[in-house]
Amino acid sequence: MTEHILRITPAGTPRATILIVPPLFEEANRTRRTLVLAMRALAAAGFSALLPDLPGQNESLIPLAEVDLQRWQDALSGIVSATDGPVIVASVRGGALIDHRARAAAWWRLAPVGGASLLRTLMRARINADREAGANSSLESLQETARSGDLLLAGNLLSAAMTAQLGIAEPQSVAPLRSVALGADGVAGTPLWLRAEPGEDAAMAAAIAADIAAWSKTCGTS
Amino acid sequence: MTDSSTVDATLRALLADVLGLGEARAAALTEDSGLFGELPEFDSMAVATVLTEMEDRLGILIDDDEIDGEIFETYGNLLAFSRHKVAG
Repeated sequence: MTEHILRITPAGTPRATILIVPPLFEEANRTRRTLVLAMRALAAAGFSALLPDLPGQNESLIPLAEVDLQRWQDALSGIVSATDGPVIVASVRGGALIDHRARAAAWWRLAPVGGASLLRTLMRARINADREAGANSSLESLQETARSGDLLLAGNLLSAAMTAQLGIAEPQSVAPLRSVALGADGVAGTPLWLRAEPGEDAAMAAAIAADIAAWSKTCGTS
Repeated sequence: MTDSSTVDATLRALLADVLGLGEARAAALTEDSGLFGELPEFDSMAVATVLTEMEDRLGILIDDDEIDGEIFETYGNLLAFSRHKVAG
């Protein structure tokens, strides 16, 4: 099944293609608007910018419980293979856990995070919600459920394979890579992916686009 | 390394990031300021995010058995809990 890909392209031949790998689960919604603003800035600078729906996320018709990190990595590999010209994979947060198998010309990562931390937050949200509903669950009981079947965490129905892979996933080494954090010597902005209600940050979007464009020049892809 | 006033500053910055409070509202939090149940943004997902970020930024580990509703009732309670954890 072909997933929807948001494409923002420049007039004329693109300098290179930037494939944005969004954060995972709810964090993708919280950052989407700012990432799309960054894509517009990239297109204005002559790049073609792509933001794919990962299978089971956003507008995908595939149930989330049928996918795992492996499948997301395959999907990204497929998109890069099908793209003409050099591709820079630009991933944000948990996107860095699934970007390494694509045959990209270069990688760029913003605030990469380990899968265990993402899973812990999702499990805590479930525990908090259970507690409010008068039920009792714990990290241990949820992990036990996850070993043998699907587990519903903050609205995400995750398969046993997904929770197992997520629990140990770390960003893998790739080259050439520019990994940036939020802050003065990285991208100036706020961690929108943590925000309880989606926001946007135009200045941060411009900073993301400028940093990716500079990195593309450094690695000689454009 | 993380002394008492650093814990306070770290916690305010963290709540500003998660709840989108902005610097002014975060700085205006007092010990009595209500959190969970008072700030509409503070839902169960936000509580989970705050706990994981507290672990990362304060360098502590929080066992979920330690968490009860009272900790998130006021800013003062959350600060006291954080200081207690940082002190070990």
